[in-house]
Amino acid sequence: MTQNKTLIEAIRIVVVVLIALAIGFVITALVSKEPVAAYTALLTGPLPKISFENGFAITNINRFGNWMEESTTLILLGLAVAIVFKARQFSLGAEGQMLLGALATAVIALKLALPFPWHMILALAAAMAIGFLWGLLPGLLKAYLAVDEIVSTLMFNVIALQLFDLLLFNWLRDPTAGFVGTVPFPDSAVLPLAISGTRVSWMIFIMLAAVVIVWFLMERTPFGFELKMLGANRKFAEYGGINTKRVIALSMAVSGILAGLAGAHLSMGLLKRLTINLSPGLGFEGIVVALLARNDPRWVLVAGLFYGYLRTGAQIMERSSDVTREVVLIIQAIIILLITAEQLFPRFQQWWGARRNNEAAMERG
Amino acid sequence: MSFEVVLQSIFSAAFIATVIRVSTPLILPAMGGLISELGGAINIALEGVMLAAAFTGVIVSGFAPQWFPGAPEWVYALTGGVAGVLVGMAMGWMIAFFHLELKTDIILTGLAMNILAAGGTVFLMFSLTGDKGSTSTLDSAQLPAVQIPFVNTIPILGTLLNGENGAGYNIMSYIAFVLVAVIWVFLYRMPSGVHLRATGEMPEAAQSVGIDIRRTRYWALVASGFCAALGGLYLSMGYLSIFQANMTAGRGFIALAVVYLGNRNPIGTLIAALIFGTASALGTRLGTMAIPPQFVEMIPPVVTIAALVIYNIRRRARINAAARRFQEQAEAARP
Amino acid sequence: MSAFVEMKQISKVYPNGVVANKHVDFAVEKGEIHALVGENGAGKSTLMKILYGLEQPTHGEIWLRGQRVEIANPHRAIDLGIGMVHQNFMLVPSFTIAENIVLGSEPRKGRFLDRAQAIAITETLSKSYGLQVDPAARIESTPVGMRQRVEILKTLYRGADLLILDEPTAVLTPQETDELFLAVRKLVDQGKTVIFITHKLVEVKEISDRVTVMRHGEVTGRVATADVSEADIARMMVGRAVFLQIDKPPVRRGRVVAEVRNLGYVAETGRPMVRNVSFDVYAGEILGVAGVEGNGQTELVEVMTGLRPATTGEIRIDGKPVQGQSARRIRLSGVAHIPEDRLTNGVALDASIAENLAVDRYNRPPFTRQGILSPRAIQTQAVALMQQFDIRAAGSAAPMRSLSGGNMQKVIVAREFSAEPALLIAAQPTRGVDIGATEFVHTQLVAKRNEGKAVLLVSADLAEVMSLADRIAVMYKGEIVGILENGPHLTEEEIGLYMLGLKRDEGARGEGRGARGEGRRELSRPSRKFQPSRKIMQRRSQHR
Ligand SMILES: Nc1ncnc2c1ncn2[C@@H]1O[C@H](COP(=O)(O)OP(=O)(O)O)[C@@H](O)[C@H]1O
Ligand SMILES: [Mg+2]
Repeated sequence: MTQNKTLIEAIRIVVVVLIALAIGFVITALVSKEPVAAYTALLTGPLPKISFENGFAITNINRFGNWMEESTTLILLGLAVAIVFKARQFSLGAEGQMLLGALATAVIALKLALPFPWHMILALAAAMAIGFLWGLLPGLLKAYLAVDEIVSTLMFNVIALQLFDLLLFNWLRDPTAGFVGTVPFPDSAVLPLAISGTRVSWMIFIMLAAVVIVWFLMERTPFGFELKMLGANRKFAEYGGINTKRVIALSMAVSGILAGLAGAHLSMGLLKRLTINLSPGLGFEGIVVALLARNDPRWVLVAGLFYGYLRTGAQIMERSSDVTREVVLIIQAIIILLITAEQLFPRFQQWWGARRNNEAAMERG
Repeated sequence: MSFEVVLQSIFSAAFIATVIRVSTPLILPAMGGLISELGGAINIALEGVMLAAAFTGVIVSGFAPQWFPGAPEWVYALTGGVAGVLVGMAMGWMIAFFHLELKTDIILTGLAMNILAAGGTVFLMFSLTGDKGSTSTLDSAQLPAVQIPFVNTIPILGTLLNGENGAGYNIMSYIAFVLVAVIWVFLYRMPSGVHLRATGEMPEAAQSVGIDIRRTRYWALVASGFCAALGGLYLSMGYLSIFQANMTAGRGFIALAVVYLGNRNPIGTLIAALIFGTASALGTRLGTMAIPPQFVEMIPPVVTIAALVIYNIRRRARINAAARRFQEQAEAARP
Repeated sequence: MSAFVEMKQISKVYPNGVVANKHVDFAVEKGEIHALVGENGAGKSTLMKILYGLEQPTHGEIWLRGQRVEIANPHRAIDLGIGMVHQNFMLVPSFTIAENIVLGSEPRKGRFLDRAQAIAITETLSKSYGLQVDPAARIESTPVGMRQRVEILKTLYRGADLLILDEPTAVLTPQETDELFLAVRKLVDQGKTVIFITHKLVEVKEISDRVTVMRHGEVTGRVATADVSEADIARMMVGRAVFLQIDKPPVRRGRVVAEVRNLGYVAETGRPMVRNVSFDVYAGEILGVAGVEGNGQTELVEVMTGLRPATTGEIRIDGKPVQGQSARRIRLSGVAHIPEDRLTNGVALDASIAENLAVDRYNRPPFTRQGILSPRAIQTQAVALMQQFDIRAAGSAAPMRSLSGGNMQKVIVAREFSAEPALLIAAQPTRGVDIGATEFVHTQLVAKRNEGKAVLLVSADLAEVMSLADRIAVMYKGEIVGILENGPHLTEEEIGLYMLGLKRDEGARGEGRGARGEGRRELSRPSRKFQPSRKIMQRRSQHR
């Protein structure tokens, strides 16, 4: 029976994604002269081309690389969101944690001189630590003072953004650069490449490890059990003896670690420096990944790859057609709306089921 | 630069004029946030509504001359404004529809609206103007400023009432303040406003006397979209006269916090919005004096969090005090 | 003559599958005070919510003044002259009394509220029905008695001819109850009809003309109040044979397991809910806690289990003080707890049965070893417990939501019993579960007692307490007013006096009288009571 439910759920998610893609296509067709070409670019662009004409050759590896880069960030953010959502905490703090994570790497990278790999490791650790802290603070406020986490995390995001700008403008900025940004990080603080010809760095391994660790944390540790019970029914968790305040605070803090890592990926892996306006709104994109994955870390990997694929495809589409990449944001919004619309598909089903249940219940008496 | 100069420039009529300009796009969406919050349906999508309305206003007023050539300028501005407001209300309606009919989580629905607005505006802007950054190529209309006559000759009063350049504040600034008053009257003096507050505070009670909770929340969200749309329109058709990608820059989220900081009533919300506006204006002003503006801009969010913390600490203290009284009584009663 | 209100063959199945009403026939004559009685969960509120349009019946029809009516929502009910005062007050805390009374149909001056008129209306209504209120006071700062008067005025303002009062006395002091009764009589004198829900039998006799009795969603009796005694009504309400069959060997009281001394608790509202409570629970006995609901039983249990902090006093389990400790610490000291409100904190509906069965022990071997959780161990335990406690479900991975109320309760019982506690606290352990599960729970509780565990049984069902407990502590207004030795000599009337606050033992504040002196006593089964009398049976069959 539960097997059956999981299957229905999976089908539902696939149907939602297909509907969203279809709506995306209609919208594209409305504005584009060549909608089919544009959509083809969106849907197949990120695939590397394998040709056998002059022997075996893979071209467009950089597109594949873009896909992996995007997905790495998104999966880290998706994991961050999955943890808090699993505990049913509406923390929206990933944006701020990500910014501060990137900021911390810049401080370590530019203000300390250390040999590789210690420099890199220290920078990563700093990003995780600040993310942890920036999640812990609103977590403690929620747990012990009942401060609404939506408002507080949004405010912590504002503070984080101001801190970011403050340090960037006044301390880290390279005055000779034509834009607001730092000098490039020293090589000792840059993540080494994993695939040459791309920007895919060791972060992809860290990300994979994070998926495994978060899965393990959720499914194979007492903390994961506590997280699940807290999310299922807080009063029940308390009744069972779980210290829910601790779990609330920790869930938000642990989530921050992953968002901090996502920030480190932007600075140490992709840009290799810090710039102003570091990807605004990206912190919210973990939400769609976590929703698609139903907060399951294994599915976060799949959903992140899928959504990263779409985003990369959109960039390729933007370069090769008259449609901008923002169409994926529209698709994303539709996915969120439809996935959370519990009443959409089951309406008929439920009506039918309720009738049968009523009759059965009356007979049972 | 001396301290006095700083003080002087802060406590000047020109500074107050700046505060009003900067606060307007917070007051308007905050009023929207307040209405839906009081109705028991939190609207996270203020940001997205502002963005969508700002965009619609510019695009429609920019293209209006092609549709009705030769009409006076104010017709284009009005068309743009009305279109923006309608888009905002439609977004409010959509949130209500998804939340109330399809039982989505209202927060996730709101976030989806924000994403839709962020993506949709840039997507359409590029399709319509070929630019992804701003609509600077489009000649869009501006909402008029309202100049109060005769006061410009009076030195300080002139600046205070008509802004630094004496041209008057944008009509949206006036609307913002009037809206606060209107909403106050509505919430506390009109039956439907009272029903709205009852719905948010105690839905069962409202329902038991025949108030239609679903309908109340529907139009609370639509009204919320209306107010937030005004805020967005001000940004692109008053404060500036172009649309820029992500030009709301988090104001919708701040407006939400403003509602909480303002203790969920119109007057408090107005004051809270002015606090945020002052900090922002101060930040800009200090920035020109080599004091990092970010310090100042950090104050309102810190104040908001502090306010929430203090509120909860005080609540707890009240409970503890009651417990202590009881304890003393119990000790006294015991032989 | 045809009845003023007639509900015919009403059935109600809630979306979660609970059958709250089963083929209920209910009729009220014009101008009468009609009592609707039954245990908690009998379906009284549901029936009245249907009449008031808050719930829709799954089957059945409603007739009013001789005409078939559809009551789709409360608005319609108000139009039809029906008013309801709910069990939980439906008042907006930050609004004034006048605002609450006119809410939904405010007097207007143009498009605006006429606030002066609202106050005038309130004052007039208040005078003409003798229901004293302060129109300008905010609800959040008014006492409960006044809130109730506001609720009644609210219905009168809307022109109600028929007033439904859902357990109006549950929250009132005796004086307030007297005042309420006066007001209700006045209402009837002025031509109103009143449906009065209660489970206090004294009140039924005192106030009502006729009475309808419900049990487990069905009507079990409909009589003129004058024709029956309280005991007759009680029989119709409780009327179960199962509890007679509990075979209890004589009590063999062992060591003191739980000592509670001068315990006090103040709720967040500032109201003291538990006052200076002291008692002991011994190994090998069931200590029953009886009392009208809302007299501090809930809070007492939650304080003892660490879900709320004690304000004053001490609790010791096996000699070790535990007050102020976390729920987990208290569980580790050997306390298990069957909570009174299963759905609030007894289960997590979205978690699996296996997870529900492990919530108190997941962090210990065999479930967690060296910090690693073993889902398999959780699974294994669940399979074993489901078999042992006869939990019927699709499997241990099935979500809790898919279980019936009785099986949910068995999951809770399985978890709490398998924790091997020294003290088992069972709060309303059979509320809303079917007869089979009730019997099961009762047998299990007695078995635990026989094994030498200490059991604290809190129940609003007096029959349950009397048939299971060895001693009975009665709570009234947060205090324990008496601790009585159970036995054939103890009558329901005697306990009733304590429950109503009419009698109290000063000694009860210290320790239960006789608890120390008489080490062992033979208790026979209380077989006399609650055998449905022939008279009632006949009447019931006439009604069918
Ligand atoms: N809204 C609801 N959803 C599901 N079950 C309910 C609901 N309200 C009441 N019930 C269940 O229906 C049964 C009857 O409840 P109720 O009518 O409140 O009884 P009473 O008023 O006689 O105590 C109980 O088992 C209760 O748990
Ligand atoms: Mg009831």
